Amino acid sequence: MSNIDLTLQIWRQKNSDALGKLETYTLDKISTDMSFLEMLDVLNEKLTMEGIEPVAFDHDCREGICGMCGAVINGVAHGPEKETTLCQLHMRHFKTGDVLVIEPFRSRAFPIKKDLVVDRSAFDKIIQAGGYVSVNTGGTPDGNAIPISSHIAELAMDAAACIGCGACVASCPNGAAMLFTSAKISQLCLLPQGHAERKKRALSMVETMDKEGFGNCTNLRECEAVCPKSISIRNIARLNREFVRAAFSEG
Amino acid sequence: MWLLRFSTSSIGKKILMASSGLLLILFLVAHAAGNAAIFFGSNAFQTYADTLHSLPVVVFVFGVGLFAVLIVHIFIGIQLFLQNRKETASRYAVSTKVCENTLASSTMPYTGLLLLLFLLVHVFGFGVNPTDTKVSVLVVNLLGNFFYGLFYLFSFCVLAVHLSHGFWSMLQTFGFNHPRYNDGIMKITYIVPGFFLVFFGAITLYFMTGLGANY
Amino acid sequence: MELNARIPSGPLAEKWDNHKFSAKLVNPANRRKFKVIVVGTGLAGAAASATLAEQGYKVSTFCIHDSPRRAHSIAAQGGINAAKNYQTDGDSVFRLFYDTIKGGDFRAREANVYRLAQVSNNIIDQCVAQGVPFAREYGGSLANRSFGGAQVSRTFYARGQTGQQLLLGAYSALSRQIHNGGVTMFNRREMMDLVVIDGQARGIITRNLINGNLESHWADAVLLCTGGYGNVYFLSTNAMASNVTAAWRAYKHGAGFANPSFVQIHPTCIPVHGDYQSKLTLMSESLRNDGRVWVPKNKGDKRKPADIPEEERDYYLENKYPSFGNLVPRDVASRNAKEQCDQGKGVGSTGLAVYLDFADAIKRDGEETILRKYGNLFQMYEKITDSSPLEEPMTIYPAVHYTMGGLWVDYNLMTTIPGLFALGECNFSDHGANRLGASALMQGLADGYFVIPTAIGNYFGESSIAPVNDSDEAFINAQQQVGDRLNKLLQNSSGGVGGKVTVDEIHKELGRLLWDNCGMARNKEGLEMALKKLPEIRQKFWDKVYIPGSGSDLNQTLERAGRVADFLEFGEIMIHDALNRAESCGCHLREESQTEENEAKRDDENYSYVSVWEYQGDDVEPKMHKEDLTFEYVTPSQRSYK
Ligand SMILES: Cc1cc2nc3c(=O)[nH]c(=O)nc-3n(C[C@H](O)[C@H](O)[C@H](O)COP(=O)(O)OP(=O)(O)OC[C@H]3O[C@@H](n4cnc5c(N)ncnc54)[C@H](O)[C@@H]3O)c2cc1C
Ligand code: HEM
Ligand code: FES
Repeated sequence: MSNIDLTLQIWRQKNSDALGKLETYTLDKISTDMSFLEMLDVLNEKLTMEGIEPVAFDHDCREGICGMCGAVINGVAHGPEKETTLCQLHMRHFKTGDVLVIEPFRSRAFPIKKDLVVDRSAFDKIIQAGGYVSVNTGGTPDGNAIPISSHIAELAMDAAACIGCGACVASCPNGAAMLFTSAKISQLCLLPQGHAERKKRALSMVETMDKEGFGNCTNLRECEAVCPKSISIRNIARLNREFVRAAFSEG
Repeated sequence: MWLLRFSTSSIGKKILMASSGLLLILFLVAHAAGNAAIFFGSNAFQTYADTLHSLPVVVFVFGVGLFAVLIVHIFIGIQLFLQNRKETASRYAVSTKVCENTLASSTMPYTGLLLLLFLLVHVFGFGVNPTDTKVSVLVVNLLGNFFYGLFYLFSFCVLAVHLSHGFWSMLQTFGFNHPRYNDGIMKITYIVPGFFLVFFGAITLYFMTGLGANY
Repeated sequence: MELNARIPSGPLAEKWDNHKFSAKLVNPANRRKFKVIVVGTGLAGAAASATLAEQGYKVSTFCIHDSPRRAHSIAAQGGINAAKNYQTDGDSVFRLFYDTIKGGDFRAREANVYRLAQVSNNIIDQCVAQGVPFAREYGGSLANRSFGGAQVSRTFYARGQTGQQLLLGAYSALSRQIHNGGVTMFNRREMMDLVVIDGQARGIITRNLINGNLESHWADAVLLCTGGYGNVYFLSTNAMASNVTAAWRAYKHGAGFANPSFVQIHPTCIPVHGDYQSKLTLMSESLRNDGRVWVPKNKGDKRKPADIPEEERDYYLENKYPSFGNLVPRDVASRNAKEQCDQGKGVGSTGLAVYLDFADAIKRDGEETILRKYGNLFQMYEKITDSSPLEEPMTIYPAVHYTMGGLWVDYNLMTTIPGLFALGECNFSDHGANRLGASALMQGLADGYFVIPTAIGNYFGESSIAPVNDSDEAFINAQQQVGDRLNKLLQNSSGGVGGKVTVDEIHKELGRLLWDNCGMARNKEGLEMALKKLPEIRQKFWDKVYIPGSGSDLNQTLERAGRVADFLEFGEIMIHDALNRAESCGCHLREESQTEENEAKRDDENYSYVSVWEYQGDDVEPKMHKEDLTFEYVTPSQRSYK
């Protein structure tokens, strides 16, 4: 364990209507065992004592699973460590003298609420448009009624691992939400439970995605590269197939 | 109307982009096959050109078809470019690309426009032919010009760059992505543009260097 | 306060069916006339919202995050139990019931637990139908593992992300209802108070976390699905936003709070690193299936683990509990780790850790097999600690993980306030004094999908509920009070008398006090001391806490301050409860009550009851009521894992 000294440039913005700007803070003696968010905690305690409003940032589980945290560190969503959410990024990946530019996840579809806090409810809208199997509670068949090969279950799980953090959108030069949307569609089209509605689902989720102001995918692969759960763009290929199939035979 | 809805949706546009791209590639393949006649001597080449022109219907259908495909490709390409520009490139104070091959992928609209320029030059040079010069002579005249040839070479490089992202991207858009074949797809993605570059480049160099001077 | 558990008559196995038959119903066409508020969107809240909306009730659901998918349940790793007996290894509804009662050290209600075991099977069917990608065998059937000391394989799992997948299943059902208009979703809202009119729960006051607006919402019934209160200790494995506020407000309006001192301390967490530590990370219990727990035999042995020869290692769990070994229940494993560290045998830089060693398992099964089982856990451990469990034993230490205590509820999940229901970890119902692994997810979903629909129909059917409105005086007053309290918190924004302290400083102080005196081991002296100390910390908080910013804005410090203010009050009934229960049971170890071998000693004669605390006013000692526990189908025995 050792300590490092850092310079932080953090995006400060009072609310969605206000103009924001980067503010510079220095922080000394940061233990390299800290997580990135703990480093921000330390900064916030310091700012509080100095009478400055602390930096607002979203977080909850601090275990890399709730998808609440996220910021762009020196141009990379969730920072330099691969397959890692911001809360699981540790300060040992930085060194004394580093200047860290910390900005919110930016996208047209994710308005900034304050400092590093953005509104990602557009993702919820996409799921609401069809990211489910329409079964009511009760009256379902036995869990083992439909065999599902472990290979398919694993592929579905690969896609279902998405935590909905929005790093894909934040890093996509076009602000596209294809990786997010494709992950849910893939999970449900791989599993037999999702087959009955697959066409309707593909059409309405894509329609909502377009309506919510996300950009068009141009296969730039940035999303896959920053995804903390390594969701593959293979899911996007699958979504494309699902969508074409649905568009030509339904609606 | 489902077709309209399809072609205005984000994925529909991608599919149209990829389909038109594919047709353009197929056209290039056909074009290359035809041009192969060049290597069999000026007579062979002239015969090929004459045969082609004796079938005006075919030429017309191909011409119009190609034009339509190009229009689709260009129109949607520009549309995508404009729409995606709403997400400004300068949205982050520091922007870092995590991916490889960003040169080709992020310059698609620009390489595309350069290709359009080339197409115009090419069509005006060879297609609109008021002087009734034989094609086999025309090609020597035009490509024998150093700068003209250089422009051709440059354009073929641009094409190679366009396709070094475009070919893979097209397959991804069509939904071909499987861990077992991805390595192969990546290889083909470099072979196809490489082939076009070498083949068309060779023709150009053949005339530029003067090897084909007494064609 | 009257504690009528309303347990249905009939033999244990028929109670739930009898109840479903005799419960009052609401005609489908009439359901849309009833409005239900659901607070919290964890497994319990999301499942309840979706199911009630499917049935036709008008549901308003409130979540503290930007999306209901982020609720704390998402973090559960290990799995969910069900009595499917797919492995034909002798499991049954009765065995799951028995294990849960025994695991809870005979401090839970038989009827509730039996229902939980019955419903467990429906949960798996439901989740599979929703498309939850549970792990499968090659042949395509559902896979199981044994978990948390169970002697049968009954745990269903989706990699190490079972909670995530179950929650996303419930979230998808909820999303469908939002889309269909059955649920109105309110994101980024924190419930600040409960509104009780004519003795019935009739609504809530919320704060919009983005703009600070206080809002009133009326309903015919209110469901609290707000999770546990483990964060009272500051450091726990709970998500940062988990808190006691909703339950505490209900308590202050007259809801009984049951067994508040029953807190589960999980044995396998990553040890604390420094003062800045903000939360603790759980390493799934499944690791104990292959990892061996040990400490050096000699006190203060600072050698590297690899340099300590076999004969100088103490595999204390295997030695002490030969038949269960490393797989003893959580409370036993935690307590023993503490004991070793207290004796000075702890390892790591703080001396507050023990080794969990995979060297033998790797030798036996090969690195590949071990990585297949635990790869993602190893990765997570390495990310946090920068040390690879393949090369060096893990270090682990117990951490606060789950709270068995919660709002007292009857068989219908209704608190002592009519119309106020508590579901999931928020209630006290099913786990007694200790929860078995993979049972919390089961309980949250059982409550939300299967129990509450019957319960709520019954309540609406048998009660008369007068119309109310958001603009009624009760709401206006409640909103006023919430506003006043926020203003009081903000008063010190200029710095209080004698300097400033931050919210976290106070929270850490409270946490340390409780961890030291009301944590893994408790004694009268310590508890009494803590009871004296607590009001001082509370006073310091109100005098000096400094909160920058305003209340009409996104203000995360203010949010935390409000929660800590409630924890500071709540801590007191925890201590009272621990003090009152002079026996040891489950996770609650009173040092005065131990067997000769230092095992927890229960006292059924005097303590076979649920302690339920009733609010008597600020600064007035709360009143304790007892719900006696009777065991007709199992005979309480001293738990022994030897
Ligand atoms: C790391 C970890 C691993 C676990 N692993 C397992 C496991 O493998 N198997 C198992 O069975 N159990 C496990 N558990 C326990 C289990 O996850 C929880 O007990 C269960 O998910 C609780 O679900 P719930 O719906 O009752 O509440 P929660 O999921 O806690 O949801 C309550 C939500 O309400 C919100 N809330 C609180 N107060 C308010 C308010 N005033 N206003 C608005 N919202 C509010 C909270 O922020 C929270 O998001 C684990 C727990 C942890 C911490
Ligand atoms: C013979 C010439 C051309 C060929 C063979 C060709 C081929 C392709 C191919 C295969 C793609 C990939 C489609 C996909 O991503 O799915 C593509 C993309 C693209 N092309 Fe072309 N193209 C040609 C000319 C042009 C021209 C003239 C333009 C002019 C604007 C252009 C603009 C674009 C753009 C902007 C893209 C990117 C679209 C996206 O990424 O979604 N192309 N091209
Ligand atoms: S805080 Fe939950 S993923 Fe980072």
